[in-house]
Amino acid sequence: MKVFEETLYDSVSQCFRIDKLYYESKTEHQHLMIFHNAFLGRVMTLDGIVQTTERDEFIYHEMMAHVPLLAHGGARDVLIIGGGDGAMLREVCRHPAVERIVMVEIDRQVIDLAKEYLPNHSAGAFEDPRLELVISDGMAFVKECEADRFDVIISDSTDPIGPGEVLFSDDFYRECRRILRPDGVMTTQNGVPFFQLDEVRDTRERMGRHFRDQTFYAAAVPTYHGGIMTFGWGSDDPALRQLPVETLAGRLAEAGFTTRYYTPEIHVASFALPRYVLDAIQ
Amino acid sequence: MNPQAKRPVRYGATPEEAAFYRDLVARHGSPLLVVSREALRRQYQSLQHQLPGVSLYYAIKAFPHPAVVETLAELGCHFDVASEGELELLRALRISGRKTIHTHPVKKVDQIKAALRGGSTTFVVDNLDELKKLTPWRHRVGVLLRVAFRSPSAAVDLSRKFGCLPEQAKALALEGQAAGFQVRGLSFHVGSQSTDPATHVAAIEACGRLIGEINREARHPLATLDIGGGFPVDYAQAGFDFDAYFAPIREALAALTDDLHLIAEPGRYLVAPAVRAVSTVIGKARRGDRQWYYLDDGIYGSYSGQLFDHAVYPLQVLRDDRPRHPAVLAGPTCDSIDVIAEGLELPELEEGDLVIGHLMGAYTAATSTRFNSLNAAKVVVVE
Ligand SMILES: Cc1ncc(COP(=O)(O)O)c(C=O)c1O
Repeated sequence: MKVFEETLYDSVSQCFRIDKLYYESKTEHQHLMIFHNAFLGRVMTLDGIVQTTERDEFIYHEMMAHVPLLAHGGARDVLIIGGGDGAMLREVCRHPAVERIVMVEIDRQVIDLAKEYLPNHSAGAFEDPRLELVISDGMAFVKECEADRFDVIISDSTDPIGPGEVLFSDDFYRECRRILRPDGVMTTQNGVPFFQLDEVRDTRERMGRHFRDQTFYAAAVPTYHGGIMTFGWGSDDPALRQLPVETLAGRLAEAGFTTRYYTPEIHVASFALPRYVLDAIQ
Repeated sequence: MNPQAKRPVRYGATPEEAAFYRDLVARHGSPLLVVSREALRRQYQSLQHQLPGVSLYYAIKAFPHPAVVETLAELGCHFDVASEGELELLRALRISGRKTIHTHPVKKVDQIKAALRGGSTTFVVDNLDELKKLTPWRHRVGVLLRVAFRSPSAAVDLSRKFGCLPEQAKALALEGQAAGFQVRGLSFHVGSQSTDPATHVAAIEACGRLIGEINREARHPLATLDIGGGFPVDYAQAGFDFDAYFAPIREALAALTDDLHLIAEPGRYLVAPAVRAVSTVIGKARRGDRQWYYLDDGIYGSYSGQLFDHAVYPLQVLRDDRPRHPAVLAGPTCDSIDVIAEGLELPELEEGDLVIGHLMGAYTAATSTRFNSLNAAKVVVVE
C-alpha cells in the first residue's frame, strides 16, 4: 500500500493513503505529487508537504480571500501572489465589485498541472476577463510595481523554505505596503502556530514594521495538521478588523454569493487569538 | 597508501567465473565496477542479523549509486545523508526524506534548508554554534548530539575531526532543550574499518551512562542512540570472525534500557563486499628484475581508496600458471604514485588479461578522480 508521509516535523507526521497517483514530477530539484485519497479527494504535495486537498481547501481560500475583501468593502484592484492552483483566484472572482485581479505565480507548470489535475480548484477562474496573469517571481513583481496600485494583496505562498522564503521577508512586506493604497489590506499564509510558533513571531516583527495595524486571524484547516493556522494581517487602519457582524453581513449579501466556511460571525471571531499566540507576539 | 602492504591475491578462477568477467568486459568494456544486488542484500541481512533491533541507515557516501540505494530501500533500509547531492539521489528514486538522518556535523545554512526541503528532519551537531544554525527550524527538527570516542584500531579515525567530549554532552543537551530544540539522543562514529569491537562497546556503554545522567535532568528524555558506522570487512582475507566481532557489541546494546531507539550508519560493511573491480592489462614492461603491468584503472580511479581510505584490496588474476615472477601492478595515469601493488608474485600476464579487485564497494568510485581526463570505471549492476 502506498502512503504519503509528511516530512514537516521530526517528531510527528501525518500520513495519507495514496489511492491513485495522478502525477509525480520527474525533476530532481523538487518533488510534486498529485494523488487521490478516498476521503480528501485530490491532494497536492510539494517536497513532502501537503499543499492543498479538494476536501478542505475551501476553508483556507475563503478565509484568505473573503476576510480582507469584505473588510475592505470597496476593493477594485486585487493582487494575488502565488496561488498557482487557482482556488484563491476563484474566491476573489466571486466579488463582483472587483475590477482587476493580478495574479503573480513563479511557476507556470503549477498552473498547468492544477488546471489538468485539480480543475475544481480554479473552477474556470483562469478564464475570468478581470485576470491579469503574470509568470514571475513575486518579489521582483512587487519591487517593480508602482506605488498605490492595489486595495487588497493576498500572499498565498508555500512553506518559507525554498522559493517561498522571500515572501516572508522584511523587504517583501515593505514593498507590499508601498504598492497598497492607504486604505488597503494585506493577508498572508502564516503556518500552524502550534508547531511553528516562531513563524508568527518572525512575521509580527517583519510585517509589524511596515503596517500600523499588524495582527493575525485564524482558522483550522484539517490537512494543515496541528490545529489552527494563522493568516497574517497588515493594514494602516485598525478599524478594518473591527467591523461589526452586521456590516460584513450586508457586504456579503451585496456581493451575492454563498460560502461553505466563511460567515460574518466567523470573520469577527477569527481575530480572537489563543493566549499562546498572543504571548508569542507580545 | 602502501602498495607494498601485504595483500591477498587469488590465482586462477573457475571457468564460470572467468567467463562471467570476460563476458561483462565484452559487453561493457573495461574498466568496470560490478555491483551485485544479491551480495548487497546478503550484507544487509547479515548486519540485521548481527545487530537485531537496530535500524540501519546506509551511509550513502560510501558508494552513492542509485542501484545500491534502490536495492537497499527495497529491503527497508534507511539512509544516512551528508549532502544535498545525496538527498537528490534519494529524491530521484522517490525515497522519502523521512527515511533519512542528516549526519554531517558542520553545515551551511543553505544545506540545512535543502535538507529540510528534501524531508530530512533529524540533524547531527556537536557544538552550540552548529545547533544555533538550526534555530529558525527548532520546532521542526530533531537533533542528535555527536560525541567523540577515539578509536585506536580504526583505519580511519573519525573522532578527531568531529564530536564533542563526553563531558560536554550533558551541558549541550540541556542547553539545546532549553533553547526549544528536540534533542533526541546521542550519536558517535568510532571511525571506519574499526576491527576491534571494544571501541564500539566502550562508546555504547559510555553513551548509555551519559543518557542516564542527562535524563535525570532533561525535560525531554533522550531516546535515541546512533552507533554510527565503522563495521569492518575482511580485506586481509584471513578468516575474520564476524560473529565474534559483533557479539560484544550486541551484548552492550542489550544492556541498555530497552526503550531506546537504536540506529546505525553502516557504509563499508554493506557495500564493500557487493562490488568488484574489473580492470584490463593494457601494457607491460620489464624494469630491473620486476615485471610491470599497466592496468586501465588505478589509484586515481577505483583504487583511490588505497590512498584516501587506506584500504588494501584483495586481488585476483584469472591465470594460475607457474612460475610466478616478482611483479608490479600500476594504474593508467602518468603519475608515479599511480601504483596499485608492488611486491606481488604473479604468473606471466598478457595484454588483455583481466585483474579483479575484491571488496571494492566502499570509498572507491566515491573518491575516484578524472586525472589525465580518463573516464571513471563504468558501473554495471548484476543480480
Ligand atoms: C558520520 C558517518 N557515518 C557513517 C559513516 C560510514 O562509515 P563506515 O563506512 O565505516 O560504516 C561515515 C564514514 O565516514 C561517517 O562519517
